[in-house]
Amino acid sequence: MFLQQVVNGLSVGSVYALIASGYALIYSLLGFSNWAHGDIAMVGAYIALIAQTSGHVPFWLAVVLAIAGAGCVSMLSDMVAYRRIRNNHSPKMFLMIAAMGLSITLQNLIMVTVGPRFRTYGDVIPVRSIRLGGISLGVLDLLTMGIIVVALIALGLLIGRTKFGLGVRAASSNMVTASVLGVDVNLYIRLVFLLAGVFAGMAGVLLGLKYNIYPTMGSIALKAFIACVVGGLGNVPGAILGGVTIGVMEALVGGFISSGLRDAFTFALLIAILLVRPSGLLGKNIVDKA
Amino acid sequence: MSRKGIVCLSKLTCLLLIVCLAAVSVSGCKKSATVEPIKIGFIGDLTGDTAIWGQAGSKAGQMTTDEINAAGGILGRQIQFIPMDGRGQAVDSVNAFNSLVDQGVLCVIGTNFSSCNKAIAPIACQKKIPLLGTTCTNDAVTVDQATGLVYPYSFRIGYTDEFQAQVLGKYAATELKAKTFASFLDMTQDFAQTETTWFNKAFVANGGKMVGTVSGRSGDNDFRTQLTKLAAMKPDIILLPWFYKDVALIANQAKELGMKIPFMGPDSWDSPELMGLAGPALEGSYYCSQPAFARPETKPFHDAYVAKWGSEPEAESLAVHDGLYWVKDACERAGKVDPVALRDALESTVNFQGLMGPITVDIKTHNPSKEASLFHITGSKRVFVGDFKP
Repeated sequence: MFLQQVVNGLSVGSVYALIASGYALIYSLLGFSNWAHGDIAMVGAYIALIAQTSGHVPFWLAVVLAIAGAGCVSMLSDMVAYRRIRNNHSPKMFLMIAAMGLSITLQNLIMVTVGPRFRTYGDVIPVRSIRLGGISLGVLDLLTMGIIVVALIALGLLIGRTKFGLGVRAASSNMVTASVLGVDVNLYIRLVFLLAGVFAGMAGVLLGLKYNIYPTMGSIALKAFIACVVGGLGNVPGAILGGVTIGVMEALVGGFISSGLRDAFTFALLIAILLVRPSGLLGKNIVDKA
Repeated sequence: MSRKGIVCLSKLTCLLLIVCLAAVSVSGCKKSATVEPIKIGFIGDLTGDTAIWGQAGSKAGQMTTDEINAAGGILGRQIQFIPMDGRGQAVDSVNAFNSLVDQGVLCVIGTNFSSCNKAIAPIACQKKIPLLGTTCTNDAVTVDQATGLVYPYSFRIGYTDEFQAQVLGKYAATELKAKTFASFLDMTQDFAQTETTWFNKAFVANGGKMVGTVSGRSGDNDFRTQLTKLAAMKPDIILLPWFYKDVALIANQAKELGMKIPFMGPDSWDSPELMGLAGPALEGSYYCSQPAFARPETKPFHDAYVAKWGSEPEAESLAVHDGLYWVKDACERAGKVDPVALRDALESTVNFQGLMGPITVDIKTHNPSKEASLFHITGSKRVFVGDFKP
């Protein structure tokens, strides 16, 4: 049972990690928590659903459209909601409030246009599992974890090894200096929003496959946010570590202590981290965290 | 102000007075010429997570109102059906109720959530407006738990949790020959605890045993932790008092974990959508519901609903239909249209024939005595087993 619970935890944790990495990307650059990130994932899930049911396209194409669509919505959200606030040099808190507003807008937009019903993609990937020495591994889970690992490695290479990544790191380290040295900061911000949106779209489709599709499905991002704080806000490897840690911890607490107290443990961990190591497991010391 | 200005102002005042007088006299004429319709309110979740039920209720109410009006209305007066969104939340539902009372309704039908009706019931008594809960199943909807006395103005159309849990518990022990059961509770819902308690009582009374409980929260979406724990308890039956969307997630995840234990659940499973979401994963499971479309007398209503709205009705649709006819029946017995007289007539209802079965009101609890329908899931289809009493 212990191993089964660890497997359950890894499967949930990998989804947290995927969403958390998108959070961390935006935080690293702009220093605010993008509360609408989970809702961008939800929009991605719905784009795939609409393409599949109304557009009758094959599922792989629906997924591509969802990922592209979520990336565009994310980039648009920056242009509509955040750019003006940024250019006015308003407090970071304003960005966070704008993000909350955007989150409510997106949820209600989907509720009014598509409807509040719980939907699924149907039998795209049938519910099946492989048994391995008393442990059952869901086919969908293995697939999800595989995709997430590949996506996160690709993200690591992109940030660590490319010119684009160098620009992002420079801008996140100090935006003014980077811009003085000739980095087009606004372009990089736009590209980072696109990248975060692409990850959110991917997460949305995977969530829809694993669970259901509904307008408030983005609320899972709250756990991803905790994962970010635990791992170190604005630190992508930290967000991944945080996501997996929380997923496994939830499964073990649920399985061996009490499923009712599970969330209490998660939030207790958050408080403990903030008290003992405010910069998170892998974070560096930054003063302002909005 | 100049003299000219004063003259101008007084002229304007005169004109205004005339217009006002004319308006008053016209509206007065209108009142005496036509009788105002009887307003009947409806509260349901029209936009939230469970809007599927609220909208099905609202559509059925509109349809039934047209039907009653075409047949002459109630005591010669037409009725007006006013749906309001309660969002499935207690606070929003209370606001909706107050707003309906301000609009001058005779009575209010709804909601299908015990948590909402528990909050509205005392206010209904204060304002003396009868409240007819549809499929809300908690005891506290009609009986004040602090005093043990019935809320005079709170009624219900469906049965209670206590009742359906006993039907399920008895059936599991006697017909399915289950020896042990475990319960998986939704800790955010009152009914889950009540169902478990009463299922346990009926199950133990018929020779069974409970082996454990686990709990979760609606919206968590991943329940494999709890399911792994349940599988280790090895029960013959798992009681699953959750709403259908979570039932679908739980059943699919149980299948993924290779579990083959059948589930049993209450009327919160009841939705045509459930089979699409998790039909194969629920193979061999049973659930109990308000007597609904398995009854042949519901066929004309079902067909008319599908023809008008192009979607399948829910049990909630029948409850609203029965509620409106019940109000009509009570008003006609009272011989007048008045909230207090309506309340008295509702309380003394004996054998009112609704599409969901006859209603006879128990004065002490305001619970109708009726039967529960049991369904078996096989081949991704719901098969009607029969109507049962505990």
